Order: sequence, then structure tokens, then C-alpha cells
Amino acid sequence: MNPSIPPSTTEYGGDEVSAIVLDPGYSTTRAGFAGEDTPKSVVPTYYGKYSTDTEKYIFGDDIFVTPRPGLSIHNPIGRDGVVEDWEMAEKLWEYSFKSRLIGAKPQNPLLNGLNEVPEGELPTEMEGVETEEKPLADSPLLMSECGWNPTKAREKTIEIAMESWGTPAFYLAKNGVLAAFAAGKASALVVDVGASNVSVTPVHDGMVLKRGVQHSPLGGDYISSQIRAMFKNNSPQPITITPHYLVASKTPVEAGQPPQATYKTFPPDKAPDASYRTLLEERTLTEFKECVVQVWPGPNKLSSVGPNGVSNEELAKSSPGRPFEFPDGYNQVFGVDRYRVVESLFDAKAAIPDPGSDFAAPTQAQTIPELIKSALNGVDVDIRPHLLANVVVTGASSLLYGFNDRLSQELMQSFPSPRVRISAPGNTAERRFGSWIGGSILASLGAFHQMWISKKEYDEHGANIVEKRCK
Amino acid sequence: MAAADVRDMLDLPADGQPRPHKKQKVVEKRPEGVTRELYALLGERAPPIAITENKYKGRPKWMSKMRVRPWRMTPFTNPARTDGLVLRHWQRQQDTAKPPPPDDTAMDVDQKPEGEAPKVAEQEYPFAKYNIKPQLPRRYTDEEYNRHLKSDDWTREETDYLMDLVEEYDLRWVVIADRYDYQPRASENSEADATALVPAKRYRTMEQMKARYYKVAATMLALEHPPSEMSEAEFELHEKMMKYDPERERVRKELAALQLNRTADEVREEGVLLEELKRIVANEQNFITERKELYARLEVPISVGNTTMYQSSQGLSQLLQTLLQADKSKKRRSILGAENAAASPAGQTPTQNAPSGARDSRAETPSGPAPSASTKKAAAAAAAASTAAQQAVKTLTPAEEAKYGVQHHDRLTPGVQFRNDRAQKLTQAKSNIQTQKLAAALTELEVPLRLVMPTERVCKEFEKLIHSVNLLLDARKVAEKVESEIRVLEAAREERLRREREAAQAAKEKDGTQIKVESEEQPSAPTGGSQEDHSKPSDNASTTNPVSDEKQPDDNAAAGDSAEDAPGEEVDPEPEDDTGAEAAAPSTTEDKDKDKDSSSSSSHKRSASVLSTVSDKSAKRQRK
Repeated sequence: MNPSIPPSTTEYGGDEVSAIVLDPGYSTTRAGFAGEDTPKSVVPTYYGKYSTDTEKYIFGDDIFVTPRPGLSIHNPIGRDGVVEDWEMAEKLWEYSFKSRLIGAKPQNPLLNGLNEVPEGELPTEMEGVETEEKPLADSPLLMSECGWNPTKAREKTIEIAMESWGTPAFYLAKNGVLAAFAAGKASALVVDVGASNVSVTPVHDGMVLKRGVQHSPLGGDYISSQIRAMFKNNSPQPITITPHYLVASKTPVEAGQPPQATYKTFPPDKAPDASYRTLLEERTLTEFKECVVQVWPGPNKLSSVGPNGVSNEELAKSSPGRPFEFPDGYNQVFGVDRYRVVESLFDAKAAIPDPGSDFAAPTQAQTIPELIKSALNGVDVDIRPHLLANVVVTGASSLLYGFNDRLSQELMQSFPSPRVRISAPGNTAERRFGSWIGGSILASLGAFHQMWISKKEYDEHGANIVEKRCK
Repeated sequence: MAAADVRDMLDLPADGQPRPHKKQKVVEKRPEGVTRELYALLGERAPPIAITENKYKGRPKWMSKMRVRPWRMTPFTNPARTDGLVLRHWQRQQDTAKPPPPDDTAMDVDQKPEGEAPKVAEQEYPFAKYNIKPQLPRRYTDEEYNRHLKSDDWTREETDYLMDLVEEYDLRWVVIADRYDYQPRASENSEADATALVPAKRYRTMEQMKARYYKVAATMLALEHPPSEMSEAEFELHEKMMKYDPERERVRKELAALQLNRTADEVREEGVLLEELKRIVANEQNFITERKELYARLEVPISVGNTTMYQSSQGLSQLLQTLLQADKSKKRRSILGAENAAASPAGQTPTQNAPSGARDSRAETPSGPAPSASTKKAAAAAAAASTAAQQAVKTLTPAEEAKYGVQHHDRLTPGVQFRNDRAQKLTQAKSNIQTQKLAAALTELEVPLRLVMPTERVCKEFEKLIHSVNLLLDARKVAEKVESEIRVLEAAREERLRREREAAQAAKEKDGTQIKVESEEQPSAPTGGSQEDHSKPSDNASTTNPVSDEKQPDDNAAAGDSAEDAPGEEVDPEPEDDTGAEAAAPSTTEDKDKDKDSSSSSSHKRSASVLSTVSDKSAKRQRK
């Protein structure tokens, strides 16, 4: 292909206007230019806050690095996926595209230290220099939102985009729709397994069917809490997770033996907040999820008994375990427990009880198969078979080993007659950034450019225009 | 295969000539940048990997002379938008008709976008054409609504809301039904309502919405064009919308939901049934095709081809040749083998089928000397081989042949047949009467018509017996004939004598009328006798003759036998006369036979006697 020849518009409906796509999630915030295949900027949605003499904030991956005294970790987004702290959310989002995508704008010459004004003298007029340069002055912005985002939050979002960032055009798309687009489908049943939420979104002709949207908190964080519960009840001894920053040195030990490590200690006035430790423990748990945790692939529940009288749990026990070494050197082979921690995503009764957890014990209606059932019941019966034939699985937590097999088994059991087909990209990046990729596709389409809400329209109609236009 | 073999096959002289020169070795050019030593390492037969020079291939020269057409970040507006939003995208700069003067300065380039912007904007945005809306009916006016569209179920406000929604979502009913959320506006009496309860929110089903919309749309369509003036498409649409039945649609959806929520067992059962159905259909198809084939066979057209080409002898021989060819190609080997085995003992000259023999011998003796080129030699070798083959077959003595049941047949009819049938066939004469006579003779001999144990020898004997019986019957026939002739002649003689006597008397008496009567009566008598001769004697002979053959003690008894048999066998107008005549006949016929053709009768008699003894023996054997 000759790069000097533009692709013909018939074969590629793209027309790139250097739009920025921002896909804020509970765990990470993805930002990048439309038309690219992965977001250039992926930053954690958590931010660090500490105070020396003034309040200071840390964004991006830096939060993991230094255990500053009094550093506390916060998340501007609530557990249900709706922004709670708008001020910080704005700062964090701004950081996500400012840090990587658009270069630092020239500072106000009054403040850059070159134009020192003698004390007591009024600053000279500097005509022509805008006192505040808007960061997104020349990039349209496409943002994603969850399917159950309330009107107020949507209006606040467009307000930030238009007024603080000065974007010329803005659009707010549902992340379910975008994930369906990323899978190349205009109609699909999107199962998004995120960090804080599992959501099921029926999409028809590129539009969310609101009555079918279902979500439950059984996401990646819930799995972490289940793992913690499992660690508490671990058989040789309860496992405590010691994050890397607390381990000074370690020596290898046999499996199941207590760790032999020297720990770092912080005096109380130098120690970071407990939330910092939780964040770093969460990192270890993420690693644990990637390496050990496995979804029982079916065909039935883990607790049920197979056709030949052998219970599935026995079968799971017979399969070889998976070893995992913790930062402090403790290591153990995890057998059937690695199936148990995620079983409650499909079977609420299998949840490991943990009174100390933030998460209430799940109900059966919160499990993924039930969510899908109720989502389908919320839409017209004529499109249900079509939706079942186009189940799109996205979200980083869906990368759990065996997740798709189990989901497919469960769906085929619940709906034996229509054909169930799950489409989940095998590529890890495509699964993690599904909705961002869909946004990237959408914002670079030539036919989409009539959909933007322009600054002019915003000025005319106010923030409520987002309700009318972004349906 | 070696070259020598090929040469041999093609009758080419042996390696006399020098081989044609090999193609001059193509010396591949050493690519540039590869040292000679390195290239030599590749050896003579370089692997089929192209050594390509990874060199940047620039644009062709003619291209480099052209002016580079720059891409520019150009602002554009989308005509599908109403607000004139200006976005910017990279666009290849349009070729201006007149190239800018060479002394263009940087300033000029900077100015250019501004100059060109309106020009680009003039150009239609290529994606604007995708901004399409479905055709929706004209909105009703107040008057129209009040006159045609009033409904108890739907308020004007809600209808408006529905129509807005339909327009907004481009008739996507699934989405419309999903988003439908009509809140009746707090009316004048809202105070009263608010005090009572939150007004009951009505849930509209998609069917209700569709019914209302179609009602409105059809009415509007009809208002615009009365149905008589509608175009065909419009009329169809109108009909469709008028006929919409929400109740039926609801029932259909219920059924669809049931279908969707079937249990696995039901699904499996359906699968099984479908499979069964498929099988049945396939079977039926098979049956139909088979029957068709059968019909086609039955209705094969009678050959109407011209047969004149086969009417000449040349054509016939040609046909024979082709048939033989076809036959040979089918099973050449087996036929040839059988022919050889059968033909050579029969004394046929081996030269006749020399070629085939030669072929056979070659096949049988692969280790033998290679056949020389001359056909004569080959024939001789073949003859020798065939004789050798004959010698190899052990000849059996007749005793051995009998022992092993080896038989030689002159002519074999194809197919399986029973020996019994052959014997049976012998008892069937040409005429029915003859057959009956034969059967009678056999019953008299107490030989069963159907042989109980038709061994080879019994059959042979039976054959002989039948043969002699036939001869006997023939002789009898001849005898009868001769006898009747004699009788006729005698009667004629008597008549003549009598006439002479009468003539002598008449000469004496000279009575005219008497002569006339006499002359009329006389011819009738001999004809009647001759008729009897033809029918009777032959019948009686069959019964009487064998009796004499069997050497019964007295002829009288035989005569009695025949007398007893006769009445049962045939119903004659005058049996008494015949038997009387026949009883007398045998003695005379035998005498006459001896006189006339003594040789035949004697042989006949002898054979008959021999036959009888043999048949007795065979009968005894059969009884055993």
C-alpha cells in the first residue's frame, strides 16, 4: 500500500479530525487519538494526595512508586461507575490526555519567571496573551460513560469539556455501544466485566436499550475481595499480603513454609496512609488473578455433580495446582481454591463468606447469567435471538482463564434453542480497551462528524443538549 | 529407468552417438555487494533463494520531476450540520490549474490556506450524503386531528410524543419502545391528582405504539391522496398499515417468547424430529428417483436406427468384429485360456491361434528366452510351448474318465441345465399324438417318464431306448401305411374282379340302372377304409407292438390286451370292427415287413429286443 495515496472513502469511511477519545473507567482511564488502535495514555484512575505545606496530588503511575508520608490514595469515581468527585475527576482526566497526547502549552509569560515584575508594581498590560489557554482548544473530544450514567453527571461532563477544556466539539457515548463497535457489530449484547462493575448492555442499531441495561458489582475488585477471604481461610496458615514496598529482602522458602523476609518499617509520622498499602496489595492480587485464578469452565457449576457421579469439585481438585509466590517469598500451590474465588460470578451460593469485606454477599440476581437473562427480558422478544448470537465480551476482568467457556456454557444451558455465539477478541489489549477502541473507530468516521455537539450548540442550548443529542 | 532401456524400446541404436552437448552452464551473475569468495561458497547449485539487494528504490525519474502535492490540515464544514461547526482534517491539496510562480515565498505558502479554504468548502463533504432520514408522514394539523384521529386511548399530547419519538429514532421500533417514557403533563386539575396519588403511569407496549402510529400514518396518507389516487406502492403501504392487528402481533410475540424459552429436552426432541423428517424426505427423494429410473428403462425407445448397414455381409462381419472386440476387451484373459485348453485337444492346429498362444506362453513362462524379433520364430516357440502345455496335462484313460466322471461334450449350451431335462426333452415328440404314443410305450415298459435317478449312464440308456421306440413307431407307421395300401389295392382288385364278373353278368343280363347304382356305391367304400387306415392303425400299433416286442407268450393275450386298452383310449363309432381288423393285422404286417424291407425290420427287431433287456435292467436299477 502506498502511504502517499489516501484510502478511498468507499473502502474506509474514515475522516480523521484529530479527535481525542477519553474512556474513563474505575481502575484505569484511557485516552488517545481517534483512529489509533490502542490508547496512547493509560493512567490509573486512582490518585495520590499528600500534604506538605499545601495539598499535593500525584497522578499516573507515580502513585505506586514512592511511599510518601501521609500519602493517601483516592478514586474520584464511585463504585457504581459514576463520578463522585468532579473536581478531582476533571484534574485526573486532564492529566490523562495532557501528559501524553498534547504537549505542554506555553505557560503564561507572566508566570514563567522571565517576566519578573518588581514588587509593588502593577503588571504591565500584556495584550494578546490569553490568560488561560484551554487544553483542548483544537481537538474534538469523545468521552464514554456507563449505561446508567445519570443526567446530572452527563451534564457535568459536557460542562467540563466545553468550559474548562474548551473543546470545539464533544460527544458522550455509552461504553457498551463502543465495545460493540469495537467488535464490529451495530447490534450486540455487551458483557463488560470491569474492575468495579459487571454490566450487560443490549445494543440495537448502535443504540443502547435502556431497559435492558443491567449491572452488578461483581467485578474485578469483588474477585479481589474473594481472594482476600480465601487467603484468610487458607489451610496451612492464613496468608497476609505484604506489598513489595514493605519488603527489604527475602530468602526463598519451601512451599507452604512461613516467609523469611526482613521488612521495612515506617515510623507512624512517616508512614503512608493505609489506602496506599491497599492499592499495592491490589497490585499483587491483580498478578494473582492473572497467574492463578481460573474459572471453572463448565459444563455445570463447580458445586454440581457430573454425569458419572464425580462432582466437579473433585475434578477440579484432580487438575494440577498452580503455584504463586508472594512478595515476601511465601509460596503455595493453589488447587481447587483458585476456582472457588470466581465461582460466585456465576453461582451466588458459592461465594466465600467474609464479614470483613466491603462487598455484601452477592445475590443470585447479581450473577452474570442472571444479569444476561434479565437484560434479555428487558428487550423486545424479536431481537433476543439476534442478541444471543452476538454476545460481545469485553473488560479486563473477562480475561480470567476459562471465563468465556463458562459463560458460553451457562448461556447455552439457559437458552438451548437459539444459537449462542460469544465474540471476545483474543488479543489482550483489545479486550482491555474494548470501549476505547470502539470510540476510536467512531470518532474517526466521516459520517460521525455530524453528531458532534459543537461549542456553538452548547452555548445555545446549555448543558442539557447532551440529553437530546447523545441518546 | 535407464536411458539404455528407453533406447531399446524405441529401437534406437545403442550408445553409438555421443550425447548431445549439455546446455552451456549458465553462469549467474554475481550480485553486487557479494564478494567472490562468499559467492563461491554457494556452490554450483545455489538454493532457490533469491539474493535480492535490499536497496531503496526511489521514485522513478519522471515522477521526481513532478511537483510534490502537499497535504494540508484543512478546515471543513459538514453540510449535514446546521451549526456550521468547523473541524480540521488532513487533505491533499487540490491541484491548482496554474502552478504557482516559482518565486513563491514562504509567506505565500502561509497565506494559501486562507485563500483556498473557501474553495475547499465549496466542495461537498463526502460523508454528508449518508445523512438520510426515512420518509415520515406529514404532521397533522389540529383540525385534522380532531376530525380523523381522535382516540379514547391516546391523548393528543401522547400522540405528539409518539410521533416525535418515531421521528427521532427513525422508525426503529425496538428503540422507540425502549425509550418511550411519556409523562402526562400535570394538567389543570393537577392539584387534585397530586393529592390523590401519583398519576398511574401507563405502560405502552410496542404493539400499541405501532397500532397508533400506523393509524395516524395511514390516515395522513389517505388525506394526502385518496386511496383511489394512490400509486401502487403507496396503496400497498396504506393497506399494510390499515391491516395492522396489534392483538395478533402480541400473540405472535408470546409464541416467539415461548419458542425462545424452551427447555433443552424440547429442543433435543425437535432436533430428533427434524432429523427424522430429513431422513423421510431423503428416502422419498430416493424412491422417486428410483422410480423415475425404472420408468425411463421401461420407456426406452425402440431402436429406430437404420439397419441397412448390417444387411450386407460386409456390414455383418463388421458388426461381428466390433462385438468380438468388445467381448474381448471385457474378458480377454479368461476366454483365451479356455479356448486354448479346449481347442488344442480337439485337434486344431496350433498355428491358428498362435499369437494368443504366444502371448499366453509368455505370460506363463517369464523365465523363458526373450522372444526374438521375427514372428516366425515366435510362432514356432508358441507351438512348442502349447505342445508342452498339452503334455503337461495328464491324459486320462477311459476307465479313469469313467471313474472320475470326466466327460467330453461336443457342444455346450450356455447356462446350467439338468440332465433330467435333457432326458425329458427326448420324450417330447414333435406332435402331441406322437408324444402320447411315446409315453404309452414307456408306461408299457414300466419305465417312468421322469427318470428317478438320471445318472449319466441311465440317461444314455434312456436315450437309446427312446431312440429305438421312435424307430419302432416309425416302422409301425410305415407298416400301417403299406398295409392299408395293400388293402386298398386288394379292395380295388376285388372290385375290378367283381366288376369284371358283373360286366360279364351284365353282358349277360344287360341291365343299365343297376350298373349306375353300383358305380355310385363303389367309390365310397375304399375312401372310408383309407380314412380308417390313417387314424386307427397308428394308435393301435403303439399299444400292440411293444407287446410283441416283449415276447409275451401268446399273441392272443396281446390281442386281448389291446382290446381292453382300446375302448378306454378312444371313442370310436365302430370299435368292434377295428379291433377285429387289427387283431388280424399284426401277423400280416410282420410278414409283409419281412418281405419288403427285411433289413430294416430285422435290425429294428433286434434292437428292440436288446432295448427291452436293457430297459429291464435299468428299471431294476431304478427300483433299487
